[in-house]
Amino acid sequence: MTITICIGSSCHLKGSRTIIQKLGELIAARQLNDKIELNGSFCMGECANGVCVKINEELFGVSPDSVESFFETEVLRRL
Amino acid sequence: MKRTFVTDINKIKYEVNTEVARLAFAGELDEKANEIPYKLIPGRSAQYRCCVYKEREIIRERVQLAMGRAAVPSRKQKNIVQVIEAACEGCPINRFNVTNNCQMCMAKKCLGACNFGAIKFEGGHAVIDHKKCKECGKCAEACPYNAIADLMRPCKRSCPVDAITMDEDNIVDINDEKCINCGQCVINCPFGALSDRSFMVDIIKLINSGASVYAMVAPAIEGQFGADVSVGMIREAIIKLGFKDMYEVSLGADFVSKHEGEELIEHYEAGEKMTTSCCPAFVSLIKKHFPQVLKNMSTTVSPMTATGRIIKAMYPDAICVFIGPCIAKKSEVIDSITFGGADYAMTYEELASMFEARDIDPADCTEDLQQGSKYGKQYSISGGVTAAVLQTFKEANKEVDLKVKTCSGALECKKALMMLKVGKLPEDFIEGMACVGGCVNGPAMINKERTFMKDRNAQIAKADDRGVLENVAQYDELNIDMVRTKQ
Repeated sequence: MTITICIGSSCHLKGSRTIIQKLGELIAARQLNDKIELNGSFCMGECANGVCVKINEELFGVSPDSVESFFETEVLRRL
Repeated sequence: MKRTFVTDINKIKYEVNTEVARLAFAGELDEKANEIPYKLIPGRSAQYRCCVYKEREIIRERVQLAMGRAAVPSRKQKNIVQVIEAACEGCPINRFNVTNNCQMCMAKKCLGACNFGAIKFEGGHAVIDHKKCKECGKCAEACPYNAIADLMRPCKRSCPVDAITMDEDNIVDINDEKCINCGQCVINCPFGALSDRSFMVDIIKLINSGASVYAMVAPAIEGQFGADVSVGMIREAIIKLGFKDMYEVSLGADFVSKHEGEELIEHYEAGEKMTTSCCPAFVSLIKKHFPQVLKNMSTTVSPMTATGRIIKAMYPDAICVFIGPCIAKKSEVIDSITFGGADYAMTYEELASMFEARDIDPADCTEDLQQGSKYGKQYSISGGVTAAVLQTFKEANKEVDLKVKTCSGALECKKALMMLKVGKLPEDFIEGMACVGGCVNGPAMINKERTFMKDRNAQIAKADDRGVLENVAQYDELNIDMVRTKQ
Protein backbone atom coordinates (compact mmCIF):
# COMPACT_ATOMS: atom_id res chain seq x y z
CA MET A 1 0.00 0.00 0.00
CA THR A 2 1.20 3.49 -0.80
CA ILE A 3 0.12 6.46 1.29
CA THR A 4 0.79 9.77 -0.44
CA ILE A 5 0.81 12.96 1.59
CA CYS A 6 0.54 16.36 -0.08
CA ILE A 7 3.51 18.56 0.82
CA GLY A 8 2.28 21.69 -0.98
CA SER A 9 2.45 24.97 0.97
CA SER A 10 -1.21 24.96 2.04
CA CYS A 11 -1.07 21.42 3.42
CA HIS A 12 2.31 22.17 4.96
CA LEU A 13 0.79 25.03 6.95
CA LYS A 14 -2.09 22.75 8.01
CA GLY A 15 0.38 20.25 9.45
CA SER A 16 1.41 17.77 6.75
CA ARG A 17 4.81 17.37 8.43
CA THR A 18 3.18 16.32 11.73
CA ILE A 19 0.97 13.88 9.84
CA ILE A 20 3.99 12.33 8.09
CA GLN A 21 5.78 11.97 11.41
CA LYS A 22 2.76 10.45 13.19
CA LEU A 23 2.00 8.04 10.36
CA GLY A 24 5.66 7.00 10.36
CA GLU A 25 5.47 6.29 14.08
CA LEU A 26 2.17 4.39 13.80
CA ILE A 27 3.56 2.28 10.95
CA ALA A 28 6.79 1.56 12.83
CA ALA A 29 4.90 0.68 16.05
CA ARG A 30 2.91 -1.98 14.20
CA GLN A 31 5.93 -3.11 12.19
CA LEU A 32 4.18 -2.43 8.93
CA ASN A 33 7.20 -0.83 7.23
CA ASP A 34 7.31 -3.54 4.59
CA LYS A 35 3.61 -3.20 3.80
CA ILE A 36 3.10 0.57 3.72
CA GLU A 37 5.14 3.06 1.74
CA LEU A 38 4.96 6.75 2.60
CA ASN A 39 5.47 9.22 -0.23
CA GLY A 40 5.14 12.95 -0.70
CA SER A 41 3.37 14.70 -3.53
CA PHE A 42 3.06 18.07 -5.20
CA CYS A 43 -0.14 20.02 -4.47
CA MET A 44 -3.15 17.80 -5.22
CA GLY A 45 -5.37 20.79 -5.99
CA GLU A 46 -7.76 20.08 -3.11
CA CYS A 47 -6.32 22.64 -0.70
CA ALA A 48 -9.69 23.40 0.96
CA ASN A 49 -9.98 19.78 2.17
CA GLY A 50 -6.34 19.47 3.27
CA VAL A 51 -4.19 17.99 4.52
CA CYS A 52 -4.66 15.84 1.42
CA VAL A 53 -3.70 12.20 1.92
CA LYS A 54 -4.18 9.44 -0.62
CA ILE A 55 -4.35 5.73 0.11
CA ASN A 56 -3.30 4.39 -3.27
CA GLU A 57 -5.57 6.56 -5.48
CA GLU A 58 -8.31 7.31 -2.92
CA LEU A 59 -8.28 10.86 -1.51
CA PHE A 60 -8.87 11.78 2.17
CA GLY A 61 -8.72 14.99 4.17
CA VAL A 62 -6.73 14.45 7.37
CA SER A 63 -5.74 16.82 10.16
CA PRO A 64 -2.94 16.35 12.71
CA ASP A 65 -5.64 15.55 15.32
CA SER A 66 -7.36 12.92 13.21
CA VAL A 67 -4.28 10.95 12.12
CA GLU A 68 -4.77 8.13 14.65
CA SER A 69 -8.43 7.59 13.77
CA PHE A 70 -7.61 7.84 10.05
CA PHE A 71 -4.93 5.18 10.53
CA GLU A 72 -7.21 2.89 12.59
CA THR A 73 -10.31 3.18 10.42
CA GLU A 74 -9.04 3.75 6.89
CA VAL A 75 -5.48 2.46 6.63
CA LEU A 76 -5.60 -0.73 8.72
CA ARG A 77 -8.79 -2.12 7.22
CA ARG A 78 -7.37 -1.78 3.70
CA LEU A 79 -4.27 -3.83 4.42
CA MET B 1 21.27 41.64 -13.89
CA LYS B 2 22.04 40.56 -17.44
CA ARG B 3 22.14 36.83 -18.01
CA THR B 4 23.37 34.76 -20.88
CA PHE B 5 21.64 31.51 -21.75
CA VAL B 6 22.85 28.37 -23.49
CA THR B 7 19.75 28.30 -25.69
CA ASP B 8 16.51 30.22 -26.07
CA ILE B 9 14.79 27.31 -24.32
CA ASN B 10 16.69 28.11 -21.09
CA LYS B 11 15.80 31.77 -21.56
CA ILE B 12 12.09 31.06 -21.95
CA LYS B 13 12.09 28.77 -18.90
CA TYR B 14 13.82 31.54 -16.93
CA GLU B 15 11.32 34.17 -18.10
CA VAL B 16 8.32 31.99 -17.22
CA ASN B 17 9.74 31.17 -13.78
CA THR B 18 10.50 34.85 -13.19
CA GLU B 19 6.95 35.95 -14.05
CA VAL B 20 5.47 33.21 -11.86
CA ALA B 21 7.81 34.14 -8.98
CA ARG B 22 6.94 37.83 -9.34
CA LEU B 23 3.19 37.16 -9.13
CA ALA B 24 3.65 34.66 -6.28
CA PHE B 25 5.66 37.16 -4.21
CA ALA B 26 2.91 39.74 -4.83
CA GLY B 27 0.20 37.24 -3.89
CA GLU B 28 -1.48 37.70 -7.29
CA LEU B 29 -0.63 34.41 -8.95
CA ASP B 30 -4.08 32.81 -8.91
CA GLU B 31 -5.73 35.82 -10.58
CA LYS B 32 -2.99 36.73 -13.03
CA ALA B 33 -1.27 33.47 -14.08
CA ASN B 34 -3.37 33.43 -17.26
CA GLU B 35 -1.86 36.75 -18.33
CA ILE B 36 1.71 35.42 -18.49
CA PRO B 37 1.46 33.87 -22.00
CA TYR B 38 0.25 37.23 -23.39
CA LYS B 39 2.94 39.16 -21.59
CA LEU B 40 5.76 36.92 -22.85
CA ILE B 41 4.37 36.40 -26.37
CA PRO B 42 2.83 39.73 -27.41
CA GLY B 43 1.63 40.73 -30.89
CA ARG B 44 0.78 38.59 -33.87
CA SER B 45 4.03 37.23 -35.26
CA ALA B 46 5.49 33.99 -33.99
CA GLN B 47 9.22 33.68 -33.42
CA TYR B 48 9.74 29.93 -33.08
CA ARG B 49 6.54 28.09 -33.99
CA CYS B 50 3.73 28.15 -36.50
CA CYS B 51 1.74 30.87 -34.72
CA VAL B 52 1.58 32.92 -31.52
CA TYR B 53 -1.31 30.76 -30.28
CA LYS B 54 0.89 27.69 -30.16
CA GLU B 55 3.70 29.66 -28.53
CA ARG B 56 1.28 30.93 -25.88
CA GLU B 57 -0.03 27.42 -25.23
CA ILE B 58 3.56 26.27 -24.62
CA ILE B 59 4.05 29.16 -22.18
CA ARG B 60 0.76 28.25 -20.49
CA GLU B 61 1.92 24.66 -19.98
CA ARG B 62 5.27 25.92 -18.67
CA VAL B 63 3.40 28.15 -16.19
CA GLN B 64 1.59 25.03 -14.94
CA LEU B 65 4.94 23.30 -14.34
CA ALA B 66 6.35 26.38 -12.61
CA MET B 67 3.29 26.30 -10.32
CA GLY B 68 4.00 22.66 -9.44
CA ARG B 69 1.20 21.18 -11.51
CA ALA B 70 1.26 18.65 -14.33
CA ALA B 71 1.80 20.40 -17.69
CA VAL B 72 -1.42 18.91 -19.09
CA PRO B 73 -4.12 17.54 -16.75
CA SER B 74 -4.50 14.24 -18.61
CA ARG B 75 -0.80 13.46 -18.27
CA LYS B 76 0.50 11.37 -15.41
CA GLN B 77 0.78 13.42 -12.28
CA LYS B 78 3.66 12.00 -10.33
CA ASN B 79 6.82 12.36 -12.35
CA ILE B 80 9.07 15.40 -11.88
CA VAL B 81 10.09 15.50 -15.54
CA GLN B 82 7.00 16.17 -17.61
CA VAL B 83 6.09 16.45 -21.27
CA ILE B 84 5.03 19.85 -22.60
CA GLU B 85 2.76 18.38 -25.27
CA ALA B 86 2.35 21.53 -27.33
CA ALA B 87 6.12 21.93 -27.56
CA CYS B 88 6.84 18.41 -28.87
CA GLU B 89 7.41 18.46 -32.62
CA GLY B 90 6.96 14.69 -32.97
CA CYS B 91 10.39 14.38 -34.64
CA PRO B 92 10.83 11.82 -37.46
CA ILE B 93 10.22 8.51 -35.89
CA ASN B 94 12.05 6.31 -38.42
CA ARG B 95 15.48 6.07 -36.91
CA PHE B 96 17.65 5.20 -39.96
CA ASN B 97 17.30 7.00 -43.27
CA VAL B 98 19.36 6.98 -46.46
CA THR B 99 20.63 10.46 -47.38
CA ASN B 100 21.71 11.98 -50.71
CA ASN B 101 25.25 10.80 -49.99
CA CYS B 102 24.27 7.36 -51.29
CA GLN B 103 26.42 6.72 -54.39
CA MET B 104 24.52 3.63 -55.53
CA CYS B 105 27.87 1.85 -55.30
CA MET B 106 28.64 -1.65 -56.50
CA ALA B 107 29.62 -3.11 -53.15
CA LYS B 108 26.19 -2.44 -51.57
CA LYS B 109 27.55 -3.19 -48.13
CA CYS B 110 24.32 -1.91 -46.57
CA LEU B 111 22.42 -4.69 -48.28
CA GLY B 112 24.87 -7.29 -47.04
CA ALA B 113 24.86 -5.88 -43.52
CA CYS B 114 21.08 -5.94 -43.08
CA ASN B 115 19.83 -9.14 -41.49
CA PHE B 116 16.18 -8.25 -41.96
CA GLY B 117 15.88 -7.65 -45.69
CA ALA B 118 15.00 -4.00 -45.12
CA ILE B 119 17.29 -2.49 -47.79
CA LYS B 120 15.87 -1.91 -51.27
CA PHE B 121 17.17 0.07 -54.24
CA GLU B 122 14.78 2.54 -55.85
CA GLY B 123 15.14 5.83 -57.72
CA GLY B 124 18.94 5.69 -57.91
CA HIS B 125 19.71 5.11 -54.23
CA ALA B 126 19.19 2.73 -51.35
CA VAL B 127 15.91 2.91 -49.42
CA ILE B 128 15.08 1.47 -46.03
CA ASP B 129 11.80 -0.37 -45.66
CA HIS B 130 10.77 0.88 -42.25
CA LYS B 131 8.27 -1.92 -41.77
CA LYS B 132 11.16 -4.40 -41.79
CA CYS B 133 13.88 -2.25 -40.17
CA LYS B 134 14.78 -3.30 -36.61
CA GLU B 135 16.96 -0.23 -36.03
CA CYS B 136 20.10 -2.30 -35.40
CA GLY B 137 22.30 0.26 -37.20
CA LYS B 138 24.41 -2.32 -39.08
CA CYS B 139 23.72 -0.63 -42.46
CA ALA B 140 24.87 2.77 -41.17
CA GLU B 141 28.07 1.19 -39.84
CA ALA B 142 28.69 -0.62 -43.12
CA CYS B 143 28.23 2.31 -45.53
CA PRO B 144 31.64 3.61 -46.69
CA TYR B 145 30.10 7.02 -47.53
CA ASN B 146 28.32 7.56 -44.18
CA ALA B 147 25.20 7.90 -46.28
CA ILE B 148 22.81 6.43 -43.71
CA ALA B 149 21.83 8.89 -41.00
CA ASP B 150 20.93 7.86 -37.48
CA LEU B 151 18.02 10.11 -36.62
CA MET B 152 17.13 8.73 -33.23
CA ARG B 153 15.02 11.30 -31.47
CA PRO B 154 17.24 13.40 -29.21
CA CYS B 155 15.03 12.76 -26.16
CA LYS B 156 15.19 9.01 -26.67
CA ARG B 157 18.92 9.08 -27.40
CA SER B 158 19.63 11.08 -24.25
CA CYS B 159 17.67 8.80 -21.91
CA PRO B 160 20.01 6.37 -20.11
CA VAL B 161 17.22 4.08 -18.92
CA ASP B 162 15.06 3.71 -22.03
CA ALA B 163 12.11 5.46 -20.36
CA ILE B 164 11.06 7.41 -23.46
CA THR B 165 8.51 6.16 -25.96
CA MET B 166 6.17 7.84 -28.46
CA ASP B 167 2.41 7.85 -28.39
CA GLU B 168 0.24 7.22 -31.46
CA ASP B 169 0.66 10.87 -32.54
CA ASN B 170 4.47 10.65 -32.25
CA ILE B 171 4.38 12.83 -29.14
CA VAL B 172 6.95 11.91 -26.51
CA ASP B 173 5.81 9.88 -23.50
CA ILE B 174 7.75 9.15 -20.29
CA ASN B 175 7.45 5.81 -18.56
CA ASP B 176 7.64 6.94 -14.95
CA GLU B 177 8.23 3.39 -13.73
CA LYS B 178 11.58 3.59 -15.52
CA CYS B 179 12.36 7.34 -15.35
CA ILE B 180 15.06 8.32 -12.84
CA ASN B 181 14.43 12.08 -13.32
CA CYS B 182 18.06 12.66 -14.29
CA GLY B 183 17.00 15.53 -16.56
CA GLN B 184 19.02 14.51 -19.62
CA CYS B 185 15.97 14.71 -21.91
CA VAL B 186 15.20 18.17 -20.52
CA ILE B 187 18.55 19.53 -21.69
CA ASN B 188 18.68 17.51 -24.89
CA CYS B 189 15.29 18.12 -26.52
CA PRO B 190 15.98 20.84 -29.15
CA PHE B 191 12.36 22.03 -28.89
CA GLY B 192 12.22 22.23 -25.12
CA ALA B 193 9.36 19.73 -24.91
CA LEU B 194 10.43 18.28 -21.56
CA SER B 195 10.75 20.18 -18.34
CA ASP B 196 10.61 19.80 -14.58
CA ARG B 197 7.82 20.63 -12.12
CA SER B 198 8.63 23.21 -9.49
CA PHE B 199 8.10 23.72 -5.77
CA MET B 200 9.02 27.40 -6.20
CA VAL B 201 5.50 28.75 -5.63
CA ASP B 202 5.04 26.65 -2.48
CA ILE B 203 8.33 28.01 -1.16
CA ILE B 204 7.38 31.63 -1.95
CA LYS B 205 3.97 31.16 -0.30
CA LEU B 206 5.66 29.80 2.84
CA ILE B 207 8.09 32.74 2.86
CA ASN B 208 5.13 35.12 2.48
CA SER B 209 3.35 33.38 5.38
CA GLY B 210 6.23 34.32 7.69
CA ALA B 211 7.35 30.73 8.24
CA SER B 212 11.04 30.02 9.00
CA VAL B 213 12.28 28.88 5.62
CA TYR B 214 15.94 27.89 5.42
CA ALA B 215 17.88 27.54 2.16
CA MET B 216 20.49 24.82 1.68
CA VAL B 217 22.71 25.38 -1.34
CA ALA B 218 24.32 22.42 -3.07
CA PRO B 219 28.12 22.28 -3.41
CA ALA B 220 28.00 23.24 -7.11
CA ILE B 221 27.13 26.80 -6.05
CA GLU B 222 30.56 28.46 -6.32
CA GLY B 223 30.72 30.43 -9.57
CA GLN B 224 27.03 29.98 -10.39
CA PHE B 225 26.17 33.65 -10.02
CA GLY B 226 29.40 35.08 -11.46
CA ALA B 227 33.16 34.78 -11.07
CA ASP B 228 33.33 37.10 -8.07
CA VAL B 229 30.08 36.15 -6.35
CA SER B 230 30.98 34.10 -3.28
CA VAL B 231 28.84 31.77 -1.18
CA GLY B 232 28.61 34.48 1.50
CA MET B 233 27.24 36.97 -1.00
CA ILE B 234 24.68 34.44 -2.21
CA ARG B 235 23.63 33.84 1.40
CA GLU B 236 23.06 37.57 1.88
CA ALA B 237 20.97 37.71 -1.31
CA ILE B 238 18.97 34.63 -0.27
CA ILE B 239 18.16 36.25 3.09
CA LYS B 240 16.97 39.34 1.18
CA LEU B 241 14.52 37.04 -0.62
CA GLY B 242 12.91 36.28 2.72
CA PHE B 243 14.67 33.07 3.74
CA LYS B 244 15.60 32.96 7.41
CA ASP B 245 19.15 31.83 6.65
CA MET B 246 21.23 29.73 4.29
CA TYR B 247 23.43 26.72 4.92
CA GLU B 248 25.94 25.03 2.67
CA VAL B 249 25.13 21.43 1.78
CA SER B 250 28.91 20.88 1.70
CA LEU B 251 28.59 20.89 5.51
CA GLY B 252 26.19 17.94 5.35
CA ALA B 253 28.58 16.41 2.80
CA ASP B 254 31.35 16.41 5.43
CA PHE B 255 29.04 14.45 7.76
CA VAL B 256 28.37 12.02 4.90
CA SER B 257 32.11 11.55 4.22
CA LYS B 258 32.71 10.61 7.84
CA HIS B 259 29.75 8.23 8.14
CA GLU B 260 30.13 6.68 4.71
CA GLY B 261 33.84 6.12 5.44
CA GLU B 262 33.00 4.21 8.63
CA GLU B 263 30.38 2.21 6.77
CA LEU B 264 32.80 1.47 3.95
CA ILE B 265 35.38 0.01 6.34
CA GLU B 266 32.72 -2.29 7.84
CA HIS B 267 31.72 -3.45 4.36
CA TYR B 268 35.34 -3.88 3.29
CA GLU B 269 36.24 -5.92 6.36
CA ALA B 270 33.19 -8.11 5.76
CA GLY B 271 34.31 -8.62 2.16
CA GLU B 272 31.37 -6.68 0.71
CA LYS B 273 31.31 -3.93 -1.89
CA MET B 274 29.56 -0.62 -1.36
CA THR B 275 28.15 2.14 -3.55
CA THR B 276 27.57 5.80 -2.71
CA SER B 277 24.05 7.09 -2.12
CA CYS B 278 24.27 10.86 -2.55
CA CYS B 279 23.18 11.23 -6.20
CA PRO B 280 19.38 10.82 -6.31
CA ALA B 281 19.31 9.70 -9.95
CA PHE B 282 21.95 7.04 -9.15
CA VAL B 283 19.85 5.89 -6.17
CA SER B 284 16.76 5.70 -8.43
CA LEU B 285 18.83 3.81 -11.02
CA ILE B 286 19.64 1.19 -8.38
CA LYS B 287 16.10 1.03 -6.97
CA LYS B 288 14.32 0.85 -10.33
CA HIS B 289 16.80 -0.99 -12.54
CA PHE B 290 19.24 -2.88 -10.30
CA PRO B 291 17.26 -3.79 -7.16
CA GLN B 292 19.55 -6.81 -6.68
CA VAL B 293 22.41 -4.51 -5.62
CA LEU B 294 20.34 -2.42 -3.19
CA LYS B 295 22.03 -4.34 -0.37
CA ASN B 296 25.35 -2.84 -1.51
CA MET B 297 24.10 0.75 -1.42
CA SER B 298 25.35 2.90 1.43
CA THR B 299 22.69 3.44 4.10
CA THR B 300 24.11 6.90 4.82
CA VAL B 301 21.68 9.74 4.10
CA SER B 302 22.45 12.18 1.29
CA PRO B 303 24.23 15.47 2.05
CA MET B 304 20.86 17.18 1.46
CA THR B 305 19.15 15.14 4.19
CA ALA B 306 22.16 15.51 6.50
CA THR B 307 22.12 19.30 6.14
CA GLY B 308 18.35 19.39 6.73
CA ARG B 309 18.78 17.31 9.90
CA ILE B 310 21.54 19.63 11.13
CA ILE B 311 19.34 22.71 10.60
CA LYS B 312 16.31 21.05 12.24
CA ALA B 313 18.43 19.94 15.22
CA MET B 314 19.17 23.62 15.82
CA TYR B 315 15.79 25.05 14.73
CA PRO B 316 13.01 22.45 15.02
CA ASP B 317 10.46 24.61 13.18
CA ALA B 318 12.71 25.14 10.18
CA ILE B 319 11.37 24.43 6.70
CA CYS B 320 14.41 23.27 4.73
CA VAL B 321 14.71 23.98 1.01
CA PHE B 322 17.48 22.38 -1.01
CA ILE B 323 18.71 24.53 -3.91
CA GLY B 324 20.91 22.85 -6.50
CA PRO B 325 21.68 22.10 -10.14
CA CYS B 326 19.63 18.91 -9.97
CA ILE B 327 16.14 17.93 -11.09
CA ALA B 328 16.26 14.48 -9.46
CA LYS B 329 16.60 16.05 -5.99
CA LYS B 330 12.91 16.98 -6.25
CA SER B 331 12.04 13.30 -6.50
CA GLU B 332 14.39 12.53 -3.60
CA VAL B 333 12.38 14.98 -1.48
CA ILE B 334 9.13 13.23 -2.41
CA ASP B 335 10.61 9.77 -1.75
CA SER B 336 12.24 10.70 1.55
CA ILE B 337 9.52 12.65 3.39
CA THR B 338 10.01 10.47 6.45
CA PHE B 339 13.75 11.25 6.70
CA GLY B 340 13.29 14.59 8.44
CA GLY B 341 15.73 16.33 6.09
CA ALA B 342 14.68 18.57 3.21
CA ASP B 343 11.06 19.67 2.92
CA TYR B 344 11.42 21.03 -0.63
CA ALA B 345 13.96 21.14 -3.44
CA MET B 346 14.42 23.74 -6.11
CA THR B 347 17.06 24.59 -8.70
CA TYR B 348 19.63 27.30 -9.37
CA GLU B 349 17.50 28.25 -12.40
CA GLU B 350 14.53 28.88 -10.12
CA LEU B 351 16.68 30.73 -7.57
CA ALA B 352 17.94 33.04 -10.35
CA SER B 353 14.31 33.73 -11.33
CA MET B 354 13.42 34.54 -7.72
CA PHE B 355 16.34 37.01 -7.55
CA GLU B 356 15.18 38.61 -10.81
CA ALA B 357 11.56 38.81 -9.61
CA ARG B 358 12.64 40.69 -6.49
CA ASP B 359 15.33 42.69 -8.30
CA ILE B 360 18.09 41.31 -6.07
CA ASP B 361 21.60 40.83 -7.43
CA PRO B 362 24.03 38.74 -5.33
CA ALA B 363 26.88 40.70 -6.95
CA ASP B 364 25.79 43.72 -4.86
CA CYS B 365 26.32 41.76 -1.61
CA THR B 366 29.53 41.66 0.43
CA GLU B 367 29.34 39.00 3.15
CA ASP B 368 31.65 36.03 3.58
CA LEU B 369 30.89 32.46 4.64
CA GLN B 370 32.40 28.98 4.79
CA GLN B 371 30.66 26.04 6.42
CA GLY B 372 31.85 23.03 4.43
CA SER B 373 35.42 21.83 3.98
CA LYS B 374 37.04 21.96 0.55
CA TYR B 375 36.36 18.22 0.34
CA GLY B 376 32.64 18.75 0.96
CA LYS B 377 32.60 21.46 -1.68
CA GLN B 378 34.06 19.02 -4.22
CA TYR B 379 31.15 16.58 -3.82
CA SER B 380 29.80 18.22 -6.95
CA ILE B 381 32.53 16.91 -9.25
CA SER B 382 33.09 13.36 -10.38
CA GLY B 383 35.58 11.71 -8.02
CA GLY B 384 34.90 14.26 -5.30
CA VAL B 385 32.89 11.98 -3.01
CA THR B 386 35.57 9.28 -3.22
CA ALA B 387 38.33 11.81 -2.50
CA ALA B 388 36.45 13.09 0.56
CA VAL B 389 35.79 9.60 1.96
CA LEU B 390 39.46 8.64 1.49
CA GLN B 391 40.45 11.93 3.14
CA THR B 392 38.61 10.90 6.32
CA PHE B 393 40.80 7.76 6.47
CA LYS B 394 43.90 9.91 6.09
CA GLU B 395 42.77 12.31 8.83
CA ALA B 396 42.10 9.38 11.17
CA ASN B 397 45.49 7.80 10.28
CA LYS B 398 43.81 4.67 8.99
CA GLU B 399 45.56 2.59 6.37
CA VAL B 400 42.88 1.24 4.08
CA ASP B 401 43.96 -0.39 0.86
CA LEU B 402 40.80 -0.55 -1.21
CA LYS B 403 40.07 -0.16 -4.88
CA VAL B 404 37.67 2.56 -5.98
CA LYS B 405 35.60 3.10 -9.10
CA THR B 406 34.26 6.52 -10.00
CA CYS B 407 31.39 6.45 -12.49
CA SER B 408 30.86 9.72 -14.31
CA GLY B 409 27.46 9.78 -16.00
CA ALA B 410 24.56 7.36 -16.01
CA LEU B 411 26.03 5.10 -18.69
CA GLU B 412 29.18 4.43 -16.66
CA CYS B 413 27.00 3.92 -13.57
CA LYS B 414 24.94 1.34 -15.45
CA LYS B 415 28.03 -0.57 -16.59
CA ALA B 416 29.45 -0.74 -13.06
CA LEU B 417 26.09 -1.76 -11.55
CA MET B 418 25.73 -4.48 -14.15
CA MET B 419 29.17 -5.84 -13.23
CA LEU B 420 28.36 -5.56 -9.53
CA LYS B 421 25.08 -7.42 -10.06
CA VAL B 422 26.83 -10.39 -11.65
CA GLY B 423 29.67 -10.30 -9.11
CA LYS B 424 32.38 -9.31 -11.57
CA LEU B 425 33.24 -5.80 -10.41
CA PRO B 426 36.84 -5.75 -9.15
CA GLU B 427 36.52 -2.49 -7.17
CA ASP B 428 35.36 -2.25 -3.53
CA PHE B 429 33.80 1.23 -3.53
CA ILE B 430 31.63 2.60 -6.34
CA GLU B 431 30.92 6.30 -6.63
CA GLY B 432 27.93 6.93 -8.87
CA MET B 433 26.98 10.28 -10.38
CA ALA B 434 24.31 10.39 -13.08
CA CYS B 435 25.62 13.58 -14.70
CA VAL B 436 28.86 13.31 -16.69
CA GLY B 437 31.52 15.17 -14.71
CA GLY B 438 29.26 15.40 -11.64
CA CYS B 439 26.69 17.89 -10.37
CA VAL B 440 28.60 20.81 -11.95
CA ASN B 441 27.09 19.59 -15.22
CA GLY B 442 23.63 19.26 -13.72
CA PRO B 443 20.59 19.99 -15.89
CA ALA B 444 19.50 23.04 -13.87
CA MET B 445 22.78 24.96 -13.69
CA ILE B 446 22.22 28.64 -14.44
CA ASN B 447 25.81 29.41 -15.44
CA LYS B 448 27.10 27.09 -18.14
CA GLU B 449 29.71 29.42 -19.53
CA ARG B 450 33.11 28.08 -20.48
CA THR B 451 34.81 30.00 -17.69
CA PHE B 452 32.55 28.48 -15.03
CA MET B 453 34.91 25.73 -13.82
CA LYS B 454 37.84 28.16 -13.72
CA ASP B 455 35.80 30.69 -11.70
CA ARG B 456 34.58 27.96 -9.38
CA ASN B 457 38.05 26.53 -8.76
CA ALA B 458 39.42 30.01 -8.08
CA GLN B 459 36.74 30.54 -5.42
CA ILE B 460 37.28 27.15 -3.79
CA ALA B 461 41.03 27.79 -3.70
CA LYS B 462 40.28 30.71 -1.35
CA ALA B 463 38.46 28.48 1.17
CA ASP B 464 40.35 27.44 4.30
CA ASP B 465 41.92 24.00 4.68
CA ARG B 466 39.85 22.70 7.58
CA GLY B 467 39.74 18.93 7.86
CA VAL B 468 36.55 16.96 7.26
CA LEU B 469 36.51 15.30 10.69
CA GLU B 470 37.50 18.53 12.44
CA ASN B 471 34.59 20.31 10.73
CA VAL B 472 32.07 17.61 11.73
CA ALA B 473 33.36 17.54 15.32
CA GLN B 474 32.17 21.14 15.80
CA TYR B 475 28.59 19.85 15.68
CA ASP B 476 29.08 16.73 17.85
CA GLU B 477 26.61 17.86 20.49
CA LEU B 478 23.77 17.88 17.93
CA ASN B 479 24.05 14.07 17.64
CA ILE B 480 22.96 13.94 14.01
CA ASP B 481 21.63 10.54 12.95
CA MET B 482 23.19 9.72 9.58
CA VAL B 483 21.26 6.57 8.64
CA ARG B 484 18.35 6.37 6.20
CA THR B 485 15.18 5.26 7.94
CA LYS B 486 13.51 2.07 6.82
CA GLN B 487 10.95 3.90 4.65
